[in-house]
Amino acid sequence: MSRTGTDELGDDRSTTGGIAQEDVTARVGMRYTLSQIASDPTALAGLAIISFFTLIAIISAIDYYLLDYWLASTFWVHPENDPNTIQTLLPPVGFSNEFGQGTWAHPLGTDHRGRDILARLFYGTRVAITVGFMATVIGLLGGTVVGAVAGYYGEWIDDVLMRAVETLYAIPFLVLVIAFMTAFGRELSFAMVGVGIASVPTFARLIRSRVVSVREEDYVEAARAAGVRDSGIILRHVIPNSFAPVLVQATLQIGVAILIVAGLSFLGFGAQPPTPSWGQMLSQSRNYMLPDPWFSVWPGLAILTTVVGFNLFGDGLRDALDPRINN
Amino acid sequence: MGLTRYTIRRLLQAIPVIIGIITITFFLTDAIPGDPVSIMLGPSPSAQQAAAIRAKYGLDKPLFVRYINYLGDVSPIWIDTISTFPYVDLTFGVDLGQSIYYKVPVTQKIAERLPVTVLLLVSSFTFALLAAVPLGVISAQRRNKPTDHVSRVLALVGVSTPSFWIGLILIIVFAFHLDVLPATNLIMPWADPAGVEGADTWVDVLVVSGKHLILPTLSLGTLQMAAITRIERSAMLENLSEDYVKLARAYGVKERTILRKHAFRPAQLPVITIVGLNLTQALGGAVLTETVFSINGMGRLIITAIYNQDYPLVMGTTIFFGLMFVLGVIVTDISYAYIDPRVSYGEQEG
Repeated sequence: MSRTGTDELGDDRSTTGGIAQEDVTARVGMRYTLSQIASDPTALAGLAIISFFTLIAIISAIDYYLLDYWLASTFWVHPENDPNTIQTLLPPVGFSNEFGQGTWAHPLGTDHRGRDILARLFYGTRVAITVGFMATVIGLLGGTVVGAVAGYYGEWIDDVLMRAVETLYAIPFLVLVIAFMTAFGRELSFAMVGVGIASVPTFARLIRSRVVSVREEDYVEAARAAGVRDSGIILRHVIPNSFAPVLVQATLQIGVAILIVAGLSFLGFGAQPPTPSWGQMLSQSRNYMLPDPWFSVWPGLAILTTVVGFNLFGDGLRDALDPRINN
Repeated sequence: MGLTRYTIRRLLQAIPVIIGIITITFFLTDAIPGDPVSIMLGPSPSAQQAAAIRAKYGLDKPLFVRYINYLGDVSPIWIDTISTFPYVDLTFGVDLGQSIYYKVPVTQKIAERLPVTVLLLVSSFTFALLAAVPLGVISAQRRNKPTDHVSRVLALVGVSTPSFWIGLILIIVFAFHLDVLPATNLIMPWADPAGVEGADTWVDVLVVSGKHLILPTLSLGTLQMAAITRIERSAMLENLSEDYVKLARAYGVKERTILRKHAFRPAQLPVITIVGLNLTQALGGAVLTETVFSINGMGRLIITAIYNQDYPLVMGTTIFFGLMFVLGVIVTDISYAYIDPRVSYGEQEG
């Protein structure tokens, strides 16, 4: 699993090779990594933030998809259409503006249509986390396949695939996704696929560089000599042994994807109103920055906190997996 | 050194990538639903009018034929350039077609909008480098001390904040609340003083333009500043733990000299890489920054083009972005050699 694990086991892996050896490696590496993370306060802080927002995302996803906001409207307020509120652009508790005084009924205030901002933030978490996560999974899968095949086979296959990847990388991320979504659809699912495709190059290049070095390892040659097929070698040896830096990149990439999705929603691509999403809330708040600046503050803080969580955890993971860089 | 040969080889390698960019852009643009003709002529054009427009822009031909034609059009035709001598054609004979929405050549529209975005990018990256390089160096030098912690937190928050949100907050604070800086209507530093309010000379124009630039620069540059700080710090730390630094220390070389000569110089390689790669990726960020500050640059041009299904303009701008990126990568690679003599051009060493 991790580079640390293989290093600790040293030379004997070359004589045994094979799958059993790898399991031991993985376990030692995994345990080491976990203990490293557990003793790193910043990584733990990151993990706490990620867990917090993921939990909110799961609750809001269940309520949105399965219960049709039954939870929200029974125990709280409906995030899309709240019949009880008529006061628009209320400030948060303890503040007042030309529209009135902040109340505990709406701790963070209300938006331009009188909807509770906290509730909309809560239900907007679903969009950020699911799209960030799914887009990264798509990019990771695509990038792993492309990078592994290119790195393992080399020669013209490598050339063709990597030129294709470079091509994709050369078009600015946001422009590529916007063009993709304009062509195929503005809904959230296309944002996932679009951001996923746009992040394929990042993973493909990373995986390829790892595969090129793993390919030359003794155990891969041993497996080849033992008659294991190429696909088997790639799946069982090459990819698992290239995975540590990819895991770090994936964690950081979720943060990047959340930022991109927020930017897309800000421009009107992604979750469509009235479905709440953080970027869309920011875009709506633009028209009310003067009378009610708080409306613009909260969604940005939510994005910031979530992405900080993924960055903290990614950094911690990198330190744990690569002990050479000790901060 | 094989610098010339290396440059030529890198340029040749770029050709398939550029053709790839053109291909992706062409077919992606073609997949955009809707009919550009109806946008030009209104909801119910007569069949004759529509057919005429289609013929004019070549939209009546099959997809593959249009693709081949487009490839031919965008390829530089040097003969044209030479034949128009002494007038130098700055587009080098590249024909990106006519914008359907603006009804002018795409190259003209790009030439019109490009300086705005270049100004924005240059000022953002200047700000980012000026702030990030010292911050990263100091952070590495005072590792795990309060200064380091502050700079690391700043960098972490910087890479995690949406640039357009920074823009919104800056507008709220500095334009609305304090009323010290303007939020919209960017004025170019080379604008005619007569057309600029409150400006008599070109010096006044520079001042006004500088004031307008501050907020967009901070908005677009913060992310870059944070990213560069992180890279500068870790590269410096890595170099400071190298054997030659330890050796220099053992010889009693002054810490300042070590920092400047042995650690700082090689630490700039990853910084150059990230600046080279991010400069074009920042064009994506410029889309958002230009939207927030209502700046009419390349970013808003491409968004407008997509909204209006202006096929030639979408393709032209995207291809232009891609071309800039490919050139940027090549320039980055070549500039490596000047900074780090250890970099070979892949001919001598394997």
